[in-house]
Amino acid sequence: MASVKPSGRHFSACFKCIRTPASVNVNGTSRRFLQVSASAREELQTQSTPSPTPPPPTMKSAAKKEVPEYMQKWGELDAQTVDEKREERRLVRREGVQPVGSRRRRTILNRMAANRADEIAFEQLPFQAFQEARKFLLQDRQEKLKAIEVQTARINNLMEQDPAVSGGSSAKEARLRSMRNHVQELIILADINDPVVKKKFEDGEGDMNKPIYRYLADQKWRKYKRLILEQRISQLNLVPDFLPALNPVADVDLGFGRKDVAPGEFVDSALSEQMPRLKVQTFEPGEKLVSVVVVDADVPVLSKDSFTTHCHFIASNIPISPTQTSIPLIRIGQQDNKTEDVSARKIALPWQAPYSIRGAPYHRLAVFVLEQKDAKALDVEALKNTKRAGYNVRAFVEKHKLNAIGVSVFRTKWDDSMAGVMERAGLKDLVNVELKRKRIEPLPYKRRTERMR
Amino acid sequence: MNLSTFRPVFRPIGNISRLGQATVLSQNAPFTRSPTTPITSTSSFSSTANLQKRKRGGPAPDPRITSIRYFLYHPLTPRPLHFSRLRYLRHWTIHRAWMLFLRKRRRAEELDLERQYNSMRDACEHLRLLDGNGMRVSDAEAGGQGPDPGSLGVKGKDVGRIYRSAMLKRGVYGSVPIEYARAQTDFPSRDGWNHAWTRD
Repeated sequence: MASVKPSGRHFSACFKCIRTPASVNVNGTSRRFLQVSASAREELQTQSTPSPTPPPPTMKSAAKKEVPEYMQKWGELDAQTVDEKREERRLVRREGVQPVGSRRRRTILNRMAANRADEIAFEQLPFQAFQEARKFLLQDRQEKLKAIEVQTARINNLMEQDPAVSGGSSAKEARLRSMRNHVQELIILADINDPVVKKKFEDGEGDMNKPIYRYLADQKWRKYKRLILEQRISQLNLVPDFLPALNPVADVDLGFGRKDVAPGEFVDSALSEQMPRLKVQTFEPGEKLVSVVVVDADVPVLSKDSFTTHCHFIASNIPISPTQTSIPLIRIGQQDNKTEDVSARKIALPWQAPYSIRGAPYHRLAVFVLEQKDAKALDVEALKNTKRAGYNVRAFVEKHKLNAIGVSVFRTKWDDSMAGVMERAGLKDLVNVELKRKRIEPLPYKRRTERMR
Repeated sequence: MNLSTFRPVFRPIGNISRLGQATVLSQNAPFTRSPTTPITSTSSFSSTANLQKRKRGGPAPDPRITSIRYFLYHPLTPRPLHFSRLRYLRHWTIHRAWMLFLRKRRRAEELDLERQYNSMRDACEHLRLLDGNGMRVSDAEAGGQGPDPGSLGVKGKDVGRIYRSAMLKRGVYGSVPIEYARAQTDFPSRDGWNHAWTRD
């Protein structure tokens, strides 16, 4: 019958179930029994202690009482990979569990598992040209490693050398710098041709502590995302309006709630009522302390018929590193509320929802990630006195010796949810205000004469 | 982007030669099929409703129609080849290794040329400083080099005799002066040849 149908597919499925920890699966009782016994067996193997009698037997017998004989013959049934109608039925009958997902999906999972069982590692694939190429590349890598060794030894020698011998301290420093750059280059070159590195990077499994993955990520960022960011910076005139110059070196991903926001995108006011979440990927090693500042540069001033700036948010002393990229501002706010220590708080000016009066042109809100000099903490208590209205980013950056490493920007305009947002933000008096363009009176009519033609 | 990727490709179901057979059949015996059997597919390209088409066991599509569709509408260029992921990675690896190999070979050739040039230069220098007895003289005593290899030094003709004869360019460039080795231009610079150039 179908109960005795050994196939590689099923074995691989079994392996899969055994490997998953018992706590993950919370199915029926009999299911749990199978899992528990399996994991117990595995533990025994790993411990390799000659325990007299494993505890499962009693449970096993108990379970046997529950499950009839003919049902036990059905073998292992996994809700993730069952892909035949009969097997599905049996799963539902015996385990009381519905199969997961579509049958199509389960079949694919099955096949993948079957393929993985007898899969050769990518770099071991027996293709002659490929293997020859790998051999050549490995040889080259060895040469590069040797060159790195030689170069580091030279650097050490030079560092010990008297500056008078090497032609002055500045010349020595310059030489050291160029030698170190060369070593960095060699480190990248040693790994850049490795197909496994490329594969891992493409899979997103690259370790950002390693220079090669940082280099690859940087290249990828510069080839697409940074170009777009640069374009937005120039299109939305961030550069003269907020800061005199911007050279983003870190990748900043902005998002509100679940929605990711591309640079320059219009954000619904209901979304931007909550603090954004930031993902800042730096490509330089080491931990940094950064400040996050959100500024609006398009607040209309009716009396002067002009615009001014408004600071919506300041947070300081946020640690980031190549591996620690997330800045969850909402969570930071919650932690701030919990901490007793005032100096440990990070948010200086809490989030104020961006708003726009009806009829006003769109507001540009720039999010700056500012690196603090030498990773020194700023005094958040002092920052709390910063005035929101008419806030000047240039002065702020200048005063605290900050460096803008990352930037993102979003836009806001009047939308359906804006009235509610403004009410909640305490701007009820502005809800019903509507701005209109000044009408430019046409010049008085003048009859066209011969001369004008 | 190659749009042929998205163009539909109808393929004849059986052998393409069936097309020829079918036409022959229709010429010779047009009424082999019993007229009572309804042929829905002959009326137009697709009069079949979607649902009816999805059901199995519906009227089989006429192979002639399939063939006509195929030859009318199949893309002129074939679908672009795409490597699978691992295949592409292997290709990439081989390509990188080949590029690296070429670069190394080029570098080795350059270095070899440089080495040869340097050793020729050293040999010439040695000849220049050689006097009649095969002894080396100092640079001050030797004759000129570079632009004026023919000029004699303090010690006269004995020093660097072989060098001077080696530097003679008579017949080397044929009857054309060496200046013509430079690419001729409409407006040559006023000082096209730097006669004062020396290595050091």
